Amino acid sequence: MSNLNFEQKQSAQSESGSIGGEPGGETLFIQHFKNDEARFLKYYHEKMAGYTALKKAFGMTPAAIVDEMKKSNLRGRGGAGFPTGIKWGFINDKTPFPRYLVCNADESEPGTFKDRDIMRYTPHLLIEGMVIGGYAISANVGYIYIRGEYTREAVLLDEAIEEAYAKGYLGKNIMGTGFDFDLTVHRGAGAYICGEETGLLNSLEGKRGEPRVKPPFPAQAGAFGKPTIVNNVETLANVPFIINRGGEWFSKLGRLERSGGTRLISVSGHVNKPGVYEIPAGSMTIRQIIYDLCGGMLNNGRLKAVIPGGSSAPVLTADEIDVIYDIDPLMKVNTMLGSAALMVVSEDQCVVKLIHRITKFYAHESCGQCTPCREGCHWMESIIERILHGKGREQDLALLADISDNIGGKTLCALGDAAAGPVASFVKKFKPDFEAYIRGGKHA
Amino acid sequence: MPKCTIDGREVEFQPGQNLIEVAKKVGVEIPYFCYHPGLSIVAQCRMCTVEIEKNPKLQTACSTPASDGMIVHTQSEKAKKNQRSVMEFLLVNHPLDCPICDKAGECDLQDNSYKFGDAYMRTSEDRRTYMDLDMGPVIKKNMNRCIHCTRCIRFGAEVAGIREMVAIQRGNNTEITTIDGRPLETEYAGNYSDICPTGSLTLKDFRFKKRAWFLKKTPTICEGCSRGCNMEIQHEGGQIYRSIPRENMEINQWWMCDEGRFNYRYTMEKDRIVEPRVVEAGASKRADWATAVAQARASVRGKKALVLIGSDLTQEEAQLIQQFAKQSLSGADVRHFGTPGIKSAGEDAAADKLLKRKSRTSNLHGVEKLGIGAFEGNTGAAEAVVVFRGGRAVLPEIKAGIWTVGIGVYHDSDSKKPGVILPGAAFSEKDGTVVNFQGKEQKLRRSVLPAGKSKLISEILALWTHQGVANKAGSKASVQAVTEGAV
Repeated sequence: MSNLNFEQKQSAQSESGSIGGEPGGETLFIQHFKNDEARFLKYYHEKMAGYTALKKAFGMTPAAIVDEMKKSNLRGRGGAGFPTGIKWGFINDKTPFPRYLVCNADESEPGTFKDRDIMRYTPHLLIEGMVIGGYAISANVGYIYIRGEYTREAVLLDEAIEEAYAKGYLGKNIMGTGFDFDLTVHRGAGAYICGEETGLLNSLEGKRGEPRVKPPFPAQAGAFGKPTIVNNVETLANVPFIINRGGEWFSKLGRLERSGGTRLISVSGHVNKPGVYEIPAGSMTIRQIIYDLCGGMLNNGRLKAVIPGGSSAPVLTADEIDVIYDIDPLMKVNTMLGSAALMVVSEDQCVVKLIHRITKFYAHESCGQCTPCREGCHWMESIIERILHGKGREQDLALLADISDNIGGKTLCALGDAAAGPVASFVKKFKPDFEAYIRGGKHA
Repeated sequence: MPKCTIDGREVEFQPGQNLIEVAKKVGVEIPYFCYHPGLSIVAQCRMCTVEIEKNPKLQTACSTPASDGMIVHTQSEKAKKNQRSVMEFLLVNHPLDCPICDKAGECDLQDNSYKFGDAYMRTSEDRRTYMDLDMGPVIKKNMNRCIHCTRCIRFGAEVAGIREMVAIQRGNNTEITTIDGRPLETEYAGNYSDICPTGSLTLKDFRFKKRAWFLKKTPTICEGCSRGCNMEIQHEGGQIYRSIPRENMEINQWWMCDEGRFNYRYTMEKDRIVEPRVVEAGASKRADWATAVAQARASVRGKKALVLIGSDLTQEEAQLIQQFAKQSLSGADVRHFGTPGIKSAGEDAAADKLLKRKSRTSNLHGVEKLGIGAFEGNTGAAEAVVVFRGGRAVLPEIKAGIWTVGIGVYHDSDSKKPGVILPGAAFSEKDGTVVNFQGKEQKLRRSVLPAGKSKLISEILALWTHQGVANKAGSKASVQAVTEGAV
């Protein structure tokens, strides 16, 4: 990996205001972002050891690649945090053919915009990762399912794929190994639910974007009923690094036991420097991210709330932000890392309006298949709307808590939990704000 | 066989059976809406969730196969809370218009609400409303009542073989409809109404006609084709209101076609002849039974007769007619007719991918078993033809003049063809046996009394053969004499 320019990395970081000095550590992506040359094969070859990992992977057996992935402790970057190596391991000798590798580039969780930068600036990382993934699970066809709104990224990806085809990194007989891999970009139509992996597969097949009953899981019957592995963009883009430098090295990049590598985080809201940052997994608390990495609160405002993992994560109050920003520590405080989208809310914002907007989003994006989510999300939205209009009743808060309890964990896919978690946490943690509306008929 | 425990009851099961089916075996009812044994499993109504030990989350019973040693609780606090909550969710937008809904009394939503729901509602929000949709001649949709179980969508795609029902919009606005609101095309549309767990897809034919709980139900067999779908005729006060399929996994599973479903209509049509008729001076005139039977008997006396029977008659009737031809018509030849182009059981085949058969009568395979051959269209040397018909067999062309007697179900348009018409009972008005294409003998049961002055064929033949008692029409003694003699 001598081609990775580490000196340049430091300066790139400080320019994009990414990583503060303290937690330190190596970064993989961020130094190449905001560089319009980075998306070309020439840059990828020269500065990022382009496609050397692929060559190395072809010298390994598929099983050895999966082992390396397991050692890396790479956990899925889409939101669920499932260990990638274990997921790939679901495909074994007995799995029937054909098999598919699908990249989930739907990035539909509100507040998340890290995958966009990977596709914009380092599309070849994703392509190389997918070819290696395809080789590891013996799939000859890959799809990148990209959200409809990412028009520019879809074009850039297509250009990069064309470059890779021209150089023989995609197509028939890649690098003379006899391995074929075709890659197609499929554009979605902008539904949140198509970020759920089985909803995505239905949409990819041209059907209504509705999640499927699990089991069978995609690894058994996925795209077109065939065994399929679905991985997030960032997950797949990490693969070339792992192959080149080893799973153990990657695992040690992270600061926690079960979470390897670095993590791209999307910070939005009332901070001075919102944007995409890269930190070693588990290296910072939320407080450090807000006040050290992102330059503190906007206009020196006071922090009211933090939504740590995209809009579906239960909210944290200003007192709860001294928690390490990674999967397991956040789970311990009853919220989640999700897609690592940190939304920062300052004191002058109305949280009732905020939760109304979030709930409206989920009511709008519910696919309508299963009862609790279809009926419940809209019901919660109506109740919060009524509260906002000064028509709230004392019993509404208990009702909201009960409805969210009736939705959470009772639905076909995770959208129900995504809608229920925020409502339950907002009602519990910001009760006075709701009561002000109910009693005074207006914002406190 | 592997065993699992449901609500403390140990039960054996076949590997692969889901928990709903396994629970039924020990009399435990797990409520559901979207599940149907004949359709794919989508697990989306969430009503059937149960608690399984060692499983932190509630699981849907429809999509969970039983496994050895599994311990299931359908009535635990957690499971019951979810049943209450799903019922509440389903009723948040349901209009609760049971008093004017045709489904009331046989509605899954209503039943499950009583059994598993709360009597108390917590919603005060406006309800979601949609426009009604006329879906062609069979079904009318009231979307407000829909609970989005998607059984109809799956029935169309998976059973009827046509993707005509779809879900449009999404989330709270999801609407189940046909593509572009087109009329339904499938010939099995009536099943949409049967499988709908609410009053959303109603049978146009039945709308606002009768409350379900007033209907008497007679299990019988459809006479529409040689499949012999099991069905139930629902009637009240001598009037048939509808027929619906009964489950029979070997014959029709849960379904039936629209033709069979609405076949009963002809039995109640105004132009059905329900009084004996005789042709006099070129006009068809009403007559009493004694006159008509006497004239019928006279019209064949001393002539070489040919007997044609519809393959829509029952085995008992056909046998009786064979006996009658032998004893009373000097051994006249008996031939069957029914579906043009299908003369023997060998020519009968599937007419579509689901249920329909090419033979459009119910008992072709039965009459053939009795050794009755097909009518080839040539009356030969016959001087008098006597035709027996159940109601569906297509009348063959018979030379004018020699067709002297018609017995069975005829309509005004046929009134001048035979010299005498003796009206008989339709399939819904008699008991008997029919044999379907698989050789299965099935029982027709009488739902209603014969229309007007019509009689059973056994009664008519009794009048014919027992001159002396002819005027005491339909006396028990005469009927018995003939039937015993024949069988």
